[in-house]
Formats: sequence, C-alpha cells, structure tokens
Amino acid sequence: MIKNKLARMVFGSTFLTSMIVPAIALAQAAEPTVQVDPKVGIAKAASAAVAMSVSAMSAGYAQAKIGAAGAGTLAERPEAGTNIIVLQALPEIIVLLGFVIAFMINA
Amino acid sequence: MSDTTTKRRVAPSKRDYGYSNARVRGMRSRLLKQPFMDGLMQAKELSGVIQGLMETEYGLDLEERLLHGRTAGQIDLALKDNMVRTFRKVLVLVNDESIEMLNALLGRWDLFNIKTIVRGRHMSLSPEEIVESMIAVGQLTQIDLDELARQQSVKSVVDTLSTWKLPFAIPLRAAMPEYIESGNLAVLELALDKYYTEWATKRLKGRGINQRLVKRFLGTQIDTINLLTCLRLLNADIGDQDPLRFFLPGGIQVSERLFGDLARMSDVDEVYDRLKRTPYGRPVEEVAIKYIESGSVSVFERALEDYLMRRAFIVGRGDPLGVGIIIGYLWMKANEVTNLRIIVKGVSVGMPVQRMREELIVV
Repeated sequence: MIKNKLARMVFGSTFLTSMIVPAIALAQAAEPTVQVDPKVGIAKAASAAVAMSVSAMSAGYAQAKIGAAGAGTLAERPEAGTNIIVLQALPEIIVLLGFVIAFMINA
Repeated sequence: MSDTTTKRRVAPSKRDYGYSNARVRGMRSRLLKQPFMDGLMQAKELSGVIQGLMETEYGLDLEERLLHGRTAGQIDLALKDNMVRTFRKVLVLVNDESIEMLNALLGRWDLFNIKTIVRGRHMSLSPEEIVESMIAVGQLTQIDLDELARQQSVKSVVDTLSTWKLPFAIPLRAAMPEYIESGNLAVLELALDKYYTEWATKRLKGRGINQRLVKRFLGTQIDTINLLTCLRLLNADIGDQDPLRFFLPGGIQVSERLFGDLARMSDVDEVYDRLKRTPYGRPVEEVAIKYIESGSVSVFERALEDYLMRRAFIVGRGDPLGVGIIIGYLWMKANEVTNLRIIVKGVSVGMPVQRMREELIVV
C-alpha cells in the first residue's frame, strides 16, 4: 500500500517536472530574441515538453520490461550479461529522438 | 500437512511474465540434447552414465545420492530429486496468474501420487515400495507423501487427507462406502479422476489467452484419458455396466457421445474409422499394427502420451510472454527425466542401445 503510494508520488512528481521544467526553460530562452505571440511560444514549449516527456516515459516503460526479462536471463545465464546491457540501453534512443524533436519544435 | 507447501513466496506481480519466462527459457537452454542422450546410451556401465551426468544439472543431486551407493536405484532417486527441485523452483518464481493455472495442471501429479498410495495400501505394500513410485511435484511434498504411505489402510489415508483439508479427500470420502462394500479399487480411482477433471476445470476460470491455452491443454489430457479408457474397454468385460460411467467430462474432441460410440465398438479398425477426423486419428493409426501384433493396450497408451508431449512442446513455442513457455518447459523436463530413467535402467541391465532408443520419448 505504502509502496504503491510512494510509486504514484514519484511518478507524479517526475511527470510534472518533466512537463514544467522544459516549458519554463524554453519560454525564457525564447523571450529576449524575437517578439512573437506569447500564445505561440507557450504552445511550442508545451509541445516540446510533451515530446520530451512522452518519449522519456515510453523509454522507461520499455526499459522496465527489458530490465525484468534481463534480470531473469542473467539469473540463469550470467554469460549473456553483455547482450542484456546492450538491449537495456537500446530504448534510450527513444529519449534521444524525443529530445531532438523537442529541440526542433522550439528552433 | 507439512508447512513447506504454504510457505510465502516472493513472486513477480500478477501478470508479469517477462522475468519468469526469461528464467524459464534460460533453464530450458540447459536441457540435455539428443547427442548427449545418445552418448549416455553408449555407456557400457553405470559409471559411464554417472560420469556423463555429473557434468550436467543433475551433478548436485547425484553427489548427494551417490553417498548411499553407486546403484541404479540411487541414480533414479537423484533424477527424481532434480525434477522435484526444478518444479519447485519454477513454482516459486512464476507470477500469481500462472501459479493458479500451473497448480491446476500439476494436480495430475497429486492425483497420480494419491492413486499410487491408495493402490499400495489396497495391495498392502510396504511404505518404501509405495514411496519409490511417487514424485512430489504437486501440492503434496515428499514429507506429506511419506506420511500418507505410512498409513495402515485405505481408510486411514482418506482420513489423513480429510484432516489436511485437501480437495482429493472429498471424492474419496464419498466413494468409501462403495469401496468398503465391494472391495473394488476402480471405484476410488474413477471418483478421483472425475473429481480432478472437474476441480482443474473450475480453477481455470477466466477468458484470458493464457487461461484458454491451459484449458485446451487440460482438455487434451482429458481426451487422452478418455480414449485410453475406450481402448481398454475394447477387450474388457464390464457386464451390464454403462460405459458412460467411465467418461470424464472436460475434454475437447472426445465428447460424451463419441465416448459412448467408441466404448461400444469391438475392434481397433472401427475405433480408427471413428477417430480419423480428429487429431487422435494419426497417433492411433500409427500404432494400430503394433497393437494387432502385441495385443497390448500399452502401445496406445504410449502413442497418446507421445501426442500429449508433442502438444506440450507446441504450447511451449507460443507466446513468449505467456504461460505456455512455462508449461512447455515443465513437460520437457519431466520428459527428460523419464528418458534418463529409462537409460539408467537400460544400461544397468545391459539393454541393447536400439531397444533403449525405442523406449525414449523423443519429440
């Protein structure tokens, strides 16, 4: 029960941070250079935040699944360790793509 | 009842198959391959078999058992120990959903063990002789089985099962008056079989893909038992008894009507004609000539057992994140242990390699 509450709190705070922080940062970065409609700026920042956070959470979901299966494989076949690490790192590409898209939205 | 069966386990969440299936697949990769089995069969003496097995997963169990002597009996016990250990290990690491289904399927081992004890007590065999034939891979542990085998009579076995509140006590208690009156063991065995099929079917409630898969597999098991009963009835004189009395509900292909038709047939050709449109036509056809030559129903028993094993292997090749992988592995392991026991017995009595190869179940 406590474990579940804690997990929800951690997930919730991570989600909010991942949405808010890039939005503020991008909004601040956009301010001094060109005068644009503030609504467009907010929309861009929100889109970038969504792209970044959704991709980060998807990568987390994929890594959780791969991690569980990898732990199982390592328990029985420790010699497969290198392959498991490669597979575990593979979903990081999703986050990188999300980051690039977020960057492109704002650029 | 020993408390080892009720021990708390730390398992993955309800439907997470990732961890357990990865472990099971890792374990499956260590199953012995056919060339290794061929090598064991070539051994001239038991020491060759022991040497071969010491380098495998069985080494640990062999080391313990061989302290009591390097005999075929001790190797046999070591193989059984390994099988029990493996099954228990799998049951500890699987998730909650699959443990329900596996318990329903592994109930057949409890059924087998209880039947063995009841038969042993009926024939007044010694506890040692009874225990020798059992494998504690179901809910009943070796301690429970030893305790049951030590009981003085069939009635006291039933009473002990009732005290432990085990489900199998219910049909036995109900059939006891008829057994006491007639002294016919088949009454108890039939009651146990019927109860098991109903009990297992009830435990497999739900419409998930895994539940459907396990139900289908259980149905195949029930079909093979029903078919075997029909084939036994070909030569049996059951007097004025209704053959449908022996029918077990819950099968997929063998309905009550088909069972009734098959049970009334007089020779194997008729049975084959009726079965040829079902998946069981082929296995029956393959051994029909052998049956005519030998006249023994055991050839059909063996053919249907092979068919069931093949089904288990097919189940094990399905969804990588489903319960099929675990079922397939458990059946493969049981098959491997059976094959090794045949090899150990064969080598110890000097059986020709070709004969041993015929006895093995190779899928």
